[in-house]
Amino acid sequence: MSDLLKDKSQRREKRAGKLPSEGSHGVRGKETTGKTKDSISTVSYIDELAHHDDNPRMAVTMENTYQMGPYKRIPIPAVTDILKDVLTSYLQEEEYEGEWSQKMTKTISEVIRARVKDLMIPRYKIVVLVHIGQLTGQSMQISSRCLWDAANDTFASYSFKNSSLFGVATVYAVYFE
Amino acid sequence: MDEYQAEEETAFVVEEVSKIIKESVEAAIGGNAYQHSRVNQWSTSVVEQCLSQLSKLGKPFKYIVTCIITQKNGAGLQTASTCFWDNSSDGSCAVRWENKSMYCIVNVFGLAL
Repeated sequence: MSDLLKDKSQRREKRAGKLPSEGSHGVRGKETTGKTKDSISTVSYIDELAHHDDNPRMAVTMENTYQMGPYKRIPIPAVTDILKDVLTSYLQEEEYEGEWSQKMTKTISEVIRARVKDLMIPRYKIVVLVHIGQLTGQSMQISSRCLWDAANDTFASYSFKNSSLFGVATVYAVYFE
Repeated sequence: MDEYQAEEETAFVVEEVSKIIKESVEAAIGGNAYQHSRVNQWSTSVVEQCLSQLSKLGKPFKYIVTCIITQKNGAGLQTASTCFWDNSSDGSCAVRWENKSMYCIVNVFGLAL
């Protein structure tokens, strides 16, 4: 059972000005486990090293921009194309393999994030989620809900499949008020 | 002092969020075995319950909640996420839950307003 758990590892990378985040190095993960009857739950989050060393965020008073909404919206077809392009080029003709997939998910999510940033849409925060899994006839459901401003925030996703693996990438773009 | 308190209320508190997630997952799929016909409804209810509890916290955050429910059959799954946001105010939390027949991974991202 622990082998399977290791397979389902989750990595998170955040861009920080000071910290060149480098995947599994230099990242302190914190896990707590709880047991109830026949189920086990594990919590994990990456404690960004620079996070709590910063001075407590001063109540920043920004000047009014008088901007009611984003001037430029996220072009969903362009983002879907990026996802399709990246997933196909990285996963076509590949076999599922534990170690390789770990690195691949991180790489793919970084690449997608960089390309979405290149679209130069100001004031949008980006969250990229990539899942790569083995196809062994199992069933799976991936779903999400968001509490946000439906007029300004949006998402795009794409799924790819070949004979031994599947890959799903989702990008959420949230407007920063 | 005031600034400290302001930060307490507007920071993403992982413990709180993870507790909410665990409770929602337990409530929605607690003692059930994997059933393909019901998984859609389960994942929807996990996510919606998480979201409604999170909104009750009353913090100035936008939330993204993702849920993956997989049948246990020895297959491998990798998940990664990367975010372009403000590290000091935004945060995320992932909870992995399992029982005898399925795995459930819930991801919550909180983006400050």
